[in-house]
Amino acid sequence: MTPHDITKLIVRTSLKDRGAFDLLYRHTSAKLFGVCLRVLRDRAEAEEALQEVYVKIWTKADRFAVSDLSPISWLVAIARNHSIDRIRARRAASADLAEAVDVADPRPGPEALALAGSERVRIFQCMETLEKDRADAVRGAYLTGESYADLAERFGVPLNTMRTWLRRSLLKLRDCLEA
Amino acid sequence: MTRAGEFGEDGGGDDILAAEYVVGALSAEERRAVAARIDGDAEFARLVERWEANLAPMQDGFEPVEPPASVKRRLDERLFDVTAASAGAPAARGGLWHSLAFWRGLAVAAVLAVVVLAAQPYLFEQSEPQTNRLVASLAPRESDVHYFVVYDARTADIGLSHVTGERETGRDFELWVVEGDRPPVSLGVIPAGSTVHLAVDQALRVKIEQGAVFAISLEPQGGSPTGQPTGPVVAAGDLRDI
Repeated sequence: MTPHDITKLIVRTSLKDRGAFDLLYRHTSAKLFGVCLRVLRDRAEAEEALQEVYVKIWTKADRFAVSDLSPISWLVAIARNHSIDRIRARRAASADLAEAVDVADPRPGPEALALAGSERVRIFQCMETLEKDRADAVRGAYLTGESYADLAERFGVPLNTMRTWLRRSLLKLRDCLEA
Repeated sequence: MTRAGEFGEDGGGDDILAAEYVVGALSAEERRAVAARIDGDAEFARLVERWEANLAPMQDGFEPVEPPASVKRRLDERLFDVTAASAGAPAARGGLWHSLAFWRGLAVAAVLAVVVLAAQPYLFEQSEPQTNRLVASLAPRESDVHYFVVYDARTADIGLSHVTGERETGRDFELWVVEGDRPPVSLGVIPAGSTVHLAVDQALRVKIEQGAVFAISLEPQGGSPTGQPTGPVVAAGDLRDI
């Protein structure tokens, strides 16, 4: 299924076409469940979150029309933001933090590697311009939803230092992306 | 030092706040405030969107994991108040099979998907088909199930050639003929095998020869218990004469 096909399904979902919604779910739920699991690291909670994510997609599909994101990126953004909101709502146990270090995978996935050379890997090239631990912090936040507090603990620095690190990294990324 | 001062020092302002939100490092309270801002401030929302787009390639780091089927069932209950007892009932309205938009989309997709170089679409105004054989490529729909159909008007026989896609254990593929918005009519469960044949009765012959669409749904073993499709459409296509 091409991005164009997914776009059509989202548009039809916004018209409350249940058939389109079912197809959209069948085609995208594995990716979005992967997002929920990665961030929440708890199967039952990820299942609950996935349901909530698709409730949002069903009720807010019309917003896709005004988004510039690719359809799958738009869907993943919903799942990721929802999962991060959920994990913030729960107190991070220290066990979670230890696990997060293992789960945070600094390597780009096979899909990312396959895209090498295309414009889409710009962000990966820009990440390379960051010091390794700073890039790890950006990735940790993005892929596993680690907060400033989590990151400060993981890297053993004060919270404000972590804020400054990450903001500077984001500014550097922006400059690189816009260059 | 105030938060605003910190932003000022970093020189990022709203743009960096948007980036912090997108990257996911903010606290619950900060995220709530930013989310409210996104809803009420279109310019700020655009900054967030640009960061989402910039960082989106990192989404490749999320490996897909198939969720259990129970999630979709609970989702349907939640959204559509569908209980397990009524989920498969043919009277359930608003579903895939009753959606005009779906069939319109399907018709478009089917036209694009036909792999046969048909010289002319079948014209149902004609009283007699000019040829005896019609073919259809039943192209995959969010699946890898692909069948090739040959309908022989002379012998009222449907030959199905299996191209790709396996049925799950304990499930069957069922072939349907669909005419416009009418309820689909079953041609039966598709037997396993690379080339299989199904007989067609007179009523269905008329439908098929008038340009009905074929669709394959995934059903419990032995076929749909309700006489109407209960599972997802895995392949569909329409006929072209050869």
